Amino acid sequence: MIRVRALGKRYGDRRALDDIELTVPDGAVYGLVGPNGAGKTTLLSILAGLRRPDAGTVEISVGVGERAVLPDAPRFDKWLTAREVVGLAASLGGPVDPDRIVAVLEEAGLAETADRRVGGFSRGMLQRLGIAATLVSGPRLVILDEPAAALDPAGRREVLDVVARMRGTATVLFSSHILGDVQAVCDRVGILDHGRIRFEGAVSELLAGAGRTVYLVRVRGDARRVAERLSAREWVRSAGVAGEQVVRVEVTSLAEAEIHLVAALAEIGLPVISLEPEAVSLESVFLELTR
Amino acid sequence: MSLWQLEWVRLVRSRRLVALAAVYAVFGLLGPVTARYMGDILERFGGDIVVQVPDPVPADGITQFTANANQIGLLVVVVVAAGALVIDAIPEMSIFLRTRVDGVGRLLTPRLVVSFAAAAGAFLLGLLGAWYETVVLLGSVPVAELAFGALLTFVYLGFVVALTAAIGGRLASVPATVATTVVVLLGLPLFGLVDAVGRLLPSHLLGAMDSLLRGTATWTDYLPAALLAPTVSALLVWLAVRWTARREL
Repeated sequence: MIRVRALGKRYGDRRALDDIELTVPDGAVYGLVGPNGAGKTTLLSILAGLRRPDAGTVEISVGVGERAVLPDAPRFDKWLTAREVVGLAASLGGPVDPDRIVAVLEEAGLAETADRRVGGFSRGMLQRLGIAATLVSGPRLVILDEPAAALDPAGRREVLDVVARMRGTATVLFSSHILGDVQAVCDRVGILDHGRIRFEGAVSELLAGAGRTVYLVRVRGDARRVAERLSAREWVRSAGVAGEQVVRVEVTSLAEAEIHLVAALAEIGLPVISLEPEAVSLESVFLELTR
Repeated sequence: MSLWQLEWVRLVRSRRLVALAAVYAVFGLLGPVTARYMGDILERFGGDIVVQVPDPVPADGITQFTANANQIGLLVVVVVAAGALVIDAIPEMSIFLRTRVDGVGRLLTPRLVVSFAAAAGAFLLGLLGAWYETVVLLGSVPVAELAFGALLTFVYLGFVVALTAAIGGRLASVPATVATTVVVLLGLPLFGLVDAVGRLLPSHLLGAMDSLLRGTATWTDYLPAALLAPTVSALLVWLAVRWTARREL
């Protein structure tokens, strides 16, 4: 469990973190998202013990030896092999199990390059090596700063799978600017902007809370005429053309729309191809919160 | 792989151990030869100028080695030590290690010990070479004085490694650490111009080998500096740990 209360951090005159409150339950996968300069790395660094806060408290129920931190661009001594890097990480975390080292190298996709020196590794390979070094000692708290940023789509998917598999066995705190990644693997999310938490809670709560009563109607014919006709209805807040033959209709309530929308479209008389509620993504909520 | 093995591998694979040993070995082999044939060399290359060089004595062979070892050799020691002791030089590497151990002391201890052992071992290698050639070319030297001179040089090397660690802990940059450490080491003997202070400084130990072998000083002359240097070194190590631990990454 991580509990942060009234956390603050300044760099000179600039307030990097301001009154941060967040709670990460044991075994959760927690996503920290925010635009560049929001304070994500500062917050993770404080939680990792690499920086000191100016105000507030941090409680972490996991000892230092049971934590692992992966920076966004991991680097290792270039004359070590991948196997030695993972072995070093394992030895710092407790007794070394050689089979475990082999297993995590395989899991990270580095089995074939295990005995190559890391000086020749690409950024993506270093990222995978960092993941292997993070997992090898079976930490109970894992702090990952943009773990998939340097990876190709397949590599990113693998890392996200690894993160998802840690759910329940380790507490994972995971920062990313790729909102789809956060939405895919995280139970809880914190949205950080200008050093303040704009939202903190379950991903489902965030999406539900931001759910707007908007429908997208695809018609065959003059979408503008449909929008104008719908705008005149009292249960419609606004209606406009949102693309070729697509009308975006914001209604006063879902209940009103369910009763009146289909009938109104039938009355207008243009063929309706599809009708669906607008999907709410983490990205759209994020943009709204940080606007 | 443990942190101790990491330091050994660092020395071997980065070829720093070879560089360190080679510098001291070369000076160890060349020192006595230079001392023995200095007159011939000056005569051969002096042209019409006649230079009177006193006949070499055995102490000259060792002194020639230590004079070079205490300059170029020390510079290499500082470079090698800084490469290991400036833990935060590359923050991403430092994060990997610092977040996995309870304290910076656990990271610094093997780096300090291995850096010192490498420096002392390289010096010993060069000294053994210089001693052998001195005996062959110039005659024997008193063994007890030679051993005590070596011991005092080890104490000084310990001080150099500790100083590098402290400055590295403060500056977090290898080039800046090397430059600052060299400036401090060069500047320290200036305080020695005041005799009462000079006898206490670690740099006083650098002249011990020569004076002991020539019989111009006894071991008691170096006792204050020999006792104070480890104390100062311990203080510098404490500062290195403190400054490194307090740095935010």
